[in-house]
Amino acid sequence: MSANSVSKPLPKRILPALFHPWTWRMAWRDSRSQRARLIIFASAIVAGIASLVAIHSLRGSMQTGIETQAKSLLGSDLMLSSRQPISENDATTVSSLATQSSREISFSSMLYFPTADAARLVQVRGVEAGYPFYGKVETTPPGAWNRLQSESGILLEAALLDQFGAKVGDRVKLGSLELPILGVIDQPAPRTGRFGAFSPEACIRFADLDRTGLLETASLSSHYLHLKLPPQTNAELLKKSFRERFSEKPWRFETPEDRRENLGDALDNLQQFLGIIALASLVLGAIGVAGAVHSHVSRRLSTVAILRCLGASGPLAFAVYLVQVIALGICGAALGALIGIAMQTGLLALFRDRFPFEIAIAPEWWIVAQTTAAGLAVCCGFALLPLLKIRDISPAMTLRGGATLGGISKSFRAWIVYSLLTGLLVLLALLNDSDWKRSLVLVGGLIFAFGLLLGVARALVFTTRKIVKPSWPYLLRQGISNLHRPQNQTLLFLLSLGLGTFLLVTILLSGNLLNQRLSLGQFSESPNIYLIDVQPDQLDGVTRLLKEQNLPALESAPMITMRIESVRGIPVREYEKQNGVPRWIARREFRSTYRDFLNPTETLVAGEWKMPKATPGEPVSLSLEEEIANDLDIRIGDEITLDVQGISLPAKVSSIRKVDWSRFNLNFFMVFAPGVLEYAPGFHVVTSRLPEGTSSGDLQRELVKQFPNVSAIDLTLILETVREILEQISAVVSVLAGFTVLAGIPILIGTLLNGRDLRTRESVLLRTLGASSKQVRTILLIEYATLGCLSALTGLILASAANAGLAIFVFKASPWPDPVLLTAAFIITTGLSILGGLLLSRGVSNHPPLSILRSGV
Amino acid sequence: MSFSDSDSIPSILEPDRSSVKPPILEVRGLRKTYISADQELTVLHDIDFALPSGDTCAIIGPSGSGKTTLLGLCAGLDDASAGSVLLDGQPLESLDQDERAALRNRLVGFVFQNFQLIPTLTAIENVLIPLELRGETGRGKDAAEILAQVGLSKRLHHYPLQLSGGEQQRVALARAFIHRPKILFADEPTGNLDAETSEPIVEMLFRLNREAGTALVLVTHDPGLAARAGRVIKMKAGTILSEN
Repeated sequence: MSANSVSKPLPKRILPALFHPWTWRMAWRDSRSQRARLIIFASAIVAGIASLVAIHSLRGSMQTGIETQAKSLLGSDLMLSSRQPISENDATTVSSLATQSSREISFSSMLYFPTADAARLVQVRGVEAGYPFYGKVETTPPGAWNRLQSESGILLEAALLDQFGAKVGDRVKLGSLELPILGVIDQPAPRTGRFGAFSPEACIRFADLDRTGLLETASLSSHYLHLKLPPQTNAELLKKSFRERFSEKPWRFETPEDRRENLGDALDNLQQFLGIIALASLVLGAIGVAGAVHSHVSRRLSTVAILRCLGASGPLAFAVYLVQVIALGICGAALGALIGIAMQTGLLALFRDRFPFEIAIAPEWWIVAQTTAAGLAVCCGFALLPLLKIRDISPAMTLRGGATLGGISKSFRAWIVYSLLTGLLVLLALLNDSDWKRSLVLVGGLIFAFGLLLGVARALVFTTRKIVKPSWPYLLRQGISNLHRPQNQTLLFLLSLGLGTFLLVTILLSGNLLNQRLSLGQFSESPNIYLIDVQPDQLDGVTRLLKEQNLPALESAPMITMRIESVRGIPVREYEKQNGVPRWIARREFRSTYRDFLNPTETLVAGEWKMPKATPGEPVSLSLEEEIANDLDIRIGDEITLDVQGISLPAKVSSIRKVDWSRFNLNFFMVFAPGVLEYAPGFHVVTSRLPEGTSSGDLQRELVKQFPNVSAIDLTLILETVREILEQISAVVSVLAGFTVLAGIPILIGTLLNGRDLRTRESVLLRTLGASSKQVRTILLIEYATLGCLSALTGLILASAANAGLAIFVFKASPWPDPVLLTAAFIITTGLSILGGLLLSRGVSNHPPLSILRSGV
Repeated sequence: MSFSDSDSIPSILEPDRSSVKPPILEVRGLRKTYISADQELTVLHDIDFALPSGDTCAIIGPSGSGKTTLLGLCAGLDDASAGSVLLDGQPLESLDQDERAALRNRLVGFVFQNFQLIPTLTAIENVLIPLELRGETGRGKDAAEILAQVGLSKRLHHYPLQLSGGEQQRVALARAFIHRPKILFADEPTGNLDAETSEPIVEMLFRLNREAGTALVLVTHDPGLAARAGRVIKMKAGTILSEN
């Protein structure tokens, strides 16, 4: 030994080995002739992480945008409403936690149009500057809303001006105050109720309210305090704490969450879809990386065997390649993150104008860091599966050669890795979707798909071994036999390409399901005008009038107002205290109807839809809306007594309905059996739909002439807001689903790399023995076409099953997958597989056999 | 060939005078059976022999007679179905794979028919590997010296693919001796080389054996090469046919 030599035994355990300089030196040396290949492997990580980062960042940006847009339904983070004035002291206390606050008082009053010498009942809104904090009020001329804050005036709905032939600049009289019309409201500030006031809106300055002299006389004024909270404040928690703190006050608190009923299940469904897409894109990248690592390690078998032969321990040899994977993983992840950021910001910049909400073109750094770390962990975790097999490489291979890396490892260590990966996936699924049952089902589905593909691969190997006959033409026999011969790639090919197809098609199908659920097309059928206070004897006349105006009479329902008197025999005030029911729910005025059929926007969730005609002395059958039944803690069979304008009406809950409020059809919290309420004082509501871009002015004018008591409520504006939100959700779904296809790139790279060396060597030998390029191509074509075809078929069957499950249990949509999408996916998957085979044959044809044989492939 | 010009014994190859002289290799009732397609195939039947330290032994026989299998079992590269192999008194069957690897690193050198150099390492890096696996650093000079002994002083930084077959085998020889093994297993060391290239390799193999006192176990088809060994074991169908 030389005098200057130093001897320090190399570590035998994995952890110290990982940090030993020799391991890193050997990993570096080993990479020398493999750089191009390692770049391909790293590109799998780069593509995986890039698509992950881009998907998650886009998801983050869009979710922020959508949530902000959803806030525009309320216009603030928290709204306090009361039928009684809110004192200065109370307003100051409540506002102390907000960054901005704005007061509003609303009441009904007559508005006088001197030019027409006519008056009309309007809903007056006096709003303080600042509100709405989210969304904007659009007026003609633009800027009229801002002007209203600095000068006296009034903003009116276009239909009202149409009705009285008034124009901007005319003066109108409200109480004792004469005001100029500053503009027309195109998009109003969020309303405090869907059709809380059965009259058109008129907005004035908060400061002018007193001067109208109407506040003292208006018996039914509503008082609001709109709050904008600091960004990190949880509005829901604050609402809860306010409710407890001000339980004695007759106040109602609302957050944007409460307004989400207008969007139906759209946002929930979007969350679920994003959860699926995030997990799937992660697994897609990881499968690609595992495939690429498997391919890399397969080429290093002889090096590992030599190292083992010369005295390297199993953990030391394993550490060399783990270090390579980690180092490449970190570099690939960093580059992938950068590309992901570029893709996200690029896409946002490109599509910015198409999203109807403000969206910042900036990276979501926290999401980038989180996603890169999660992606790296999962990719390295999946890479452990092929790496583990290094420990099983026998040094005896140096004598015999020809050994291959096994398929699915069943060692104890492998099971530990499988368990860790399953746990990691469940954890990530939980991070994406807090519903643990759904997360378990998602990961369980993945494991099932893995198992099924494994079974199909084994069945294929078994079948091809049995069916191939010597009488078959040579090329066909060779191509099919490649599927079962030693060192075949059947198992890994089916697992990676099959799982990839399954995940990608599931994402695309779920996107379709969600869009189907949003069914924007139905918006063209939704009513956008409500005719209120139609008396029973006016029903035919109003319907006829609509017909004359070429408008459809979409729905008609009787409406009776009532309050709850008692629940299960307990007076409502007592019940409210006993059960902690919010006061505004228990004591609210319910507008109810009676009918014996379910609307298309209703689904029965409990009980039976039995609406027999009421018999005297028996409680009448009542169907409750799901949310209100939960809030009131009422179940099937419970008895409620209602106060119908002074008369007690006992009712028995026979069913509970889920209502899709996003459709704006005539829906009610309480639906009674016919036979009792027909004689109660009430009116009918008739709905119709104005063609897009038209005004309700003509209709309103005719109504005033023929049926002066009937009011027309134009819902076009709020309907447009909801429609915009649903449209953007649909756009997000389409962009993200299409984008996830990128995550399939690593899979393709990994799959094609695996088996490439062996097939190249075989093909070169065939070429050496005299096979023509065409013959080599045909053999590869048969093998890759069979593998691609079967991977696609199995993946598509699994995706269709997943689609059916998601449709039935999550999205409540049709379980039948889109046949066009399935056919396209089949053709593309099989086509890509065949293309891979052909590229391989091209590489063989273009190079002299000797150079490939000498390269040691 | 330049490596034969050396007259002096390189210092790094001087025999270890302190080493004891029990048999370096003992094989007792060694059997190897493979199970393939539900059939048992015994490729080695109860093999017994021993090799004293510093001795040379050639194993010859027709293809499929079990020579390479025997060599692999003796070096602890594979597991025997029955029997025992004692390497420097250590029964291999009592050691796990990693312990066997450590023992090989300490006692054994290898020369393979297909050279088995690591393609991503240069000649000098390949030679240094056994020392590096011991955790020895700063032995670059020794590696260069032994490569010079085998006539490759100008090829230190060439990769295996840039070397001819004979040169690769000489790198393999340098690697086999760099850590002063007590026993060298050579599997058809000239099997991939022509007669002209083979001769100096064989010369060097035996010279290094003599000078370093390393026992040599040779598997070969070549009767001429076998004849140079002190002892020849002739195998047929998994059994020792004769021992001379």
